Amino acid sequence: MAIFDVSGYKKYCELREQILPAGLTHLVDRTNHYNFGTKTQEFAVPPGVDPSGFLKSCNHDGGVCIEMNHGTTTLAFKFKHGVIVAVDSRASAGNYLASKDANKVIEINSYLLGTMSGSAADCQHWERLLAKECRLYRLRNNHRISVAAASKLLSNMMLGYRGMGLSMGSMICGWDKQGPGLYYVDDNGTRLSGRMFSTGCGNSYAYGVVDSGYREDMTVEEAYELGRRGIAHATHRDAYSGGVVNMYHMQEDGWIKVCKEDVSELIHRYRKGMF
Amino acid sequence: MALQDICNFQSVFEDRLTTEYPAVPHGKKIPSNYVSGLPFSNNKSLFHFYIPVAEYLDESPIQFGQISTVQNCSAVSSEDPFLTSSSLPTCLPFASSQSVPLPFPMAHGTTTLAFMFQGGVMAAADTRSSCSGLVACPASQKILPIHSHLVGLTSGTSADCALWKRILARELRLYQLRHGRRLSTSGAAKLLSHMLHPFKGTELCVAATLCGWDGGEQKNFVDSTNAKVSLAKDERFSFSQQCSIRKKMNLSGPRLFYVCSDGTRLRGMLFSVGSGSPYAYSILDQGVHWGLTVDEAKSIAREAVYRATYRDAYSGNCVDMYHITSKGWTRRNREDLKEEYYREKERRKHEKTERRDVAFSD
Repeated sequence: MAIFDVSGYKKYCELREQILPAGLTHLVDRTNHYNFGTKTQEFAVPPGVDPSGFLKSCNHDGGVCIEMNHGTTTLAFKFKHGVIVAVDSRASAGNYLASKDANKVIEINSYLLGTMSGSAADCQHWERLLAKECRLYRLRNNHRISVAAASKLLSNMMLGYRGMGLSMGSMICGWDKQGPGLYYVDDNGTRLSGRMFSTGCGNSYAYGVVDSGYREDMTVEEAYELGRRGIAHATHRDAYSGGVVNMYHMQEDGWIKVCKEDVSELIHRYRKGMF
Repeated sequence: MALQDICNFQSVFEDRLTTEYPAVPHGKKIPSNYVSGLPFSNNKSLFHFYIPVAEYLDESPIQFGQISTVQNCSAVSSEDPFLTSSSLPTCLPFASSQSVPLPFPMAHGTTTLAFMFQGGVMAAADTRSSCSGLVACPASQKILPIHSHLVGLTSGTSADCALWKRILARELRLYQLRHGRRLSTSGAAKLLSHMLHPFKGTELCVAATLCGWDGGEQKNFVDSTNAKVSLAKDERFSFSQQCSIRKKMNLSGPRLFYVCSDGTRLRGMLFSVGSGSPYAYSILDQGVHWGLTVDEAKSIAREAVYRATYRDAYSGNCVDMYHITSKGWTRRNREDLKEEYYREKERRKHEKTERRDVAFSD
């Protein structure tokens, strides 16, 4: 039927064809996430390729070690008036700064945000795929997807490729019927719900600041200031974070972009006594 | 001996025989080697025990922990019970990229910090000694006084740090007796750095922060301290002005040096070392500036160590604080951070119930 074609719905027999070695004409690059691998194995890896074996052979002693570092700082915390999301904007490729103005927050829809840390390519691809799935969910079911379900979708995508060298540390933030939601999703398939997370190699610096200044009953301005400080101090000490602080505030009726401030100016303001 | 045959003991002196016999693969028993290789042959008295000498003790300490040369490799078999400890899996996080045989698992988990301000130097550290997941001692002392005006914070291997601190203390005392004045902190740092240099490249791991107050026997010392106190009472000076003022009284004042066994020697205003240091750095960056009062400095140092112990698994238990002034160091009572953790938990619970009450009343 035409509706099946439009929405990409695949019958079971079609799926099987794609996985069997004979069905080489239909190499999958879009897995159907609603079966969650219950009927057939749905990993979109061409037959004969073994990424996890390749990685294992690389990472043994004496081999070339592929270091998966998440070079960034992102943080998000829940408080009385919603969720604050703050990220830096430096994209590094080894020692080279590829960009000082990268966008590390993906606006999935008007009430869902995803942050990115780790491999930029992986993050962008999988979170855009998540955005597509969220939109399809909305169209099929006539109500918005919950934050828990969206993070679960992403987590299952990561689990499908576990051990194959993905590198992604993301926080899915949103506001749904249960209120403000914050989930941390990892390339290992970790999915944690919590009040406060920080990812990336600058996360420890951000944790110190936000742990110290966090209060449940902060005002909105205090929360903005805390988010800014967390990122600013992390960029001050961590070599792989820098650029500007992009801050979003997730409220009941959607997110707003709060500010985009240069970290060097922020540091000058905060450490006036030391300069 | 039959026992040696059963437990596959291979003589440590086998390397002397490699010229005669070809290198043997593991597990293959060659009785002839035993008979002629043993320093005490079987027909000697039964009471003559073979006391094994671990091969690595014959080498110079500089070689300890280094990659063995090819000849020694063939002699050391993994079945040798006396050297099994050196063939630990190299997946330990602290093994270098080449397979250096580590004698024991090492772990460097700690949080120590020190910063300079107008009232001297404030040093703080946690008290947890960990050994790869085991808390070996929840009440260790990481801040070791070296002499009345110098205190050292230790990070790295506790044994190495304790030993080198004592050696440094001895050398400084000798210097004081010979020259009639205390060695400056800068000199002490240089001395420690040069003493550690021969061990560069070995598994020695010492990361020490020396905090001290220089000056004291000079005549102008009293004037300089008075001038410093009056400065603090004024409005906060900009850093460059303070630099030039301090240059005038260059000889005395607070000093902070970081010395590491890989040769680093840095002078600075603020240092934090250890696995918990990133968490502490951000707190310190927020609050530390020259014009702090002593109480403010104490509370910032305490907060920084507390936050580090909150997030880092290898730091914890209590916090020690030392304050170094012109009169010497003073020690604050050791404070258990567990109390602080429970107080904070109460505070958060209180905030939450407050918020819920407010929400209900709306």
